Amino acid sequence: MNSLLLALAVALPCHTGLAGPWRAALALAGGELRFSLQIADSADRLTGRVCNAGSCGALSGVRQAGDSVRLEIADYAASIAATCSGDTLAGFYRNVGNRGPRVIPFHASRGRWDAAPVPRRLAGRWDATFVSGQRRSPRVLLFEGGPSGLQGTVISNTGDYGTFQGQLDGDSVAMSHFDGSFVYLLTARLDGDTLRGTFHAGLSTQTPFTAVRSTGRDHLRPPTSLTQADTTAPFHFAFPDLNGRMVRNDDPRFRGKVVLIDIFGTWCPTCQEAAPELVRLWHEYRARGLEIAGIAYEVSGDTAIDAALVRRYKARHQIPFPLLLGGTNTVEATAATLPQLTGFTSYPTTIFLGRDGRVRRVHAGFYGASTGPMHQQQVASFRAFIEQLLEEP
Amino acid sequence: MQRQLTPGRRIPLLLAAACLLATATARAAIAQGAALVDAEREAYLEWLQRSPLSPYAAVAQLPVGQGIRLGSDHGDVALTGVALHTIANSDGIVAMTGPEGRRALPRGRPVRLGGYAIVSGGTASRPVVTIFDSTRARGTPHWYPYDAALSFAGPLHPPDSARSRLVLSPEGVEVTAEDAGSVIVPIGGKPVRLSVMRLPDPVSGESDLEIYFRDSTNGDSTYPAGRFVSLVPAGKGNWRLDFNRSRNPFCAYSSAFACPAPWRGNAIPADVRAGEQYQPKE
Repeated sequence: MNSLLLALAVALPCHTGLAGPWRAALALAGGELRFSLQIADSADRLTGRVCNAGSCGALSGVRQAGDSVRLEIADYAASIAATCSGDTLAGFYRNVGNRGPRVIPFHASRGRWDAAPVPRRLAGRWDATFVSGQRRSPRVLLFEGGPSGLQGTVISNTGDYGTFQGQLDGDSVAMSHFDGSFVYLLTARLDGDTLRGTFHAGLSTQTPFTAVRSTGRDHLRPPTSLTQADTTAPFHFAFPDLNGRMVRNDDPRFRGKVVLIDIFGTWCPTCQEAAPELVRLWHEYRARGLEIAGIAYEVSGDTAIDAALVRRYKARHQIPFPLLLGGTNTVEATAATLPQLTGFTSYPTTIFLGRDGRVRRVHAGFYGASTGPMHQQQVASFRAFIEQLLEEP
Repeated sequence: MQRQLTPGRRIPLLLAAACLLATATARAAIAQGAALVDAEREAYLEWLQRSPLSPYAAVAQLPVGQGIRLGSDHGDVALTGVALHTIANSDGIVAMTGPEGRRALPRGRPVRLGGYAIVSGGTASRPVVTIFDSTRARGTPHWYPYDAALSFAGPLHPPDSARSRLVLSPEGVEVTAEDAGSVIVPIGGKPVRLSVMRLPDPVSGESDLEIYFRDSTNGDSTYPAGRFVSLVPAGKGNWRLDFNRSRNPFCAYSSAFACPAPWRGNAIPADVRAGEQYQPKE
């Protein structure tokens, strides 16, 4: 019977118009990674968004030719190619890794995922230990209710993995996140007061973990303890802006001011989450002597390509402060261009400079809005520290 | 033709009972498996033939070690039309110095040098550099038709103790791999135990469960040194070993890459007519 239904579905032509919500999923070997697609048709142009529990990112292109559909995710050089049949899409997600292309089956059907309830025994904060071979590393898992039902996130020492949307089946929970590049699926089973499961990253990387309810004590290292800086001299930087002009730490626009340096990349979802907060801080404190500079580390290393991406990022977030081109987006390359930092680990990293130009704090990573109170505490801590620095002579 | 068989290990009866079981019952699953393998092959073919970082385009891969000299003259690697450049590792940062100055070589990211692309890889303690020439002639890979009977699912038997050792990855880079245990496959009429290693990809930070195996087709229709195949999760704690996804190490595409030595014991005394084939150059 199922075969017959499948055959009928294959024979159906694509229903006119892709516009609307789609229940989408990647068929990972370790389970189904669910996300939502929202496609709009305005002025004969298709646009789309990839959403995880209401947190969405734009697709760079949606094209349809007959029954063939292609969803482009240009920021990550990735795409989804699918065939439309009736009210379903079936095909493959594809991106290119170091060992060649990766291909993951994709399917979608019209409509929205049912909102999963949030059981009391799961809701809240859990302290997890991820085990990879001999190595153990801490994570915090958050589960909560949202407009789309169960949602949450996974938080490491340097930030969160974005918003996850969840599904429940008895004592089993699956939380998924797909933003076009990062493919994350957390599967776990409640066993009394313990959550045991596996964190799937990409097609085949699996990390087992065990989590217990948070006691309230610190489980992660503070983000201000991960990267150190030379504070004996003013923090030196000199990079070209998007018009090729060199911008330096001793330029008049920075001299005598409290300065935030945002080390970011347009490819980095967490940086995208941090950008609006920095813009807010700039507007709020600029008159009292705050300045901000963003230093971008991009994928290609080609100035023309990188500048175009950073211009788009600047326009998207309406960033009023200068964005500079720092280089390519690896920890080594970034560290090489900022030799006064030690232990650079993550994008974004925010460096706080006092009015004398010296480093006063280095904050690695950024807790996005999906981390709830951690996000709020972090923003409050940014504000308090900026206030403190502004008060100093 | 008489096959050159390598004796397999004798397997106790109980272990044989835990053999991976062939899954040929679900027609839909087979169709989906075949479609995925087709899509993977299509993407892989396009990458091999079009990407500037295709292994076919590699002209040299060298450990950074005490330093590398690149250039038209007097270089460790002669690069046409390129002034002398040196690559060195200083405190874990690989950088290239030439007439235009010094620039870091970020891991996994191409940096242009004349008509070439330079990519730093390997681990922080053992960096390597690969040089690509996108004009280099490329071959065409071939595959056996999909054979559902050579796709298996079952348990991964853990190792007796946690061990790690240096091995070469499919791309010829030395990595520290962890012994992940073994699977037992009923192939060629009897169970065969294959050891599984978890191979990290130092660039992406991800890792794969890999089997580097030899079989009786090696040197005939498949690559003489053997082939790699990844295990993928199959649900309920089981793993899928699909020989249709077997692929050649990068040394099959270019002599720039070092070839991994066969893993001890992973010799299947039968033909595995699935996955990537090999046709040596005339």
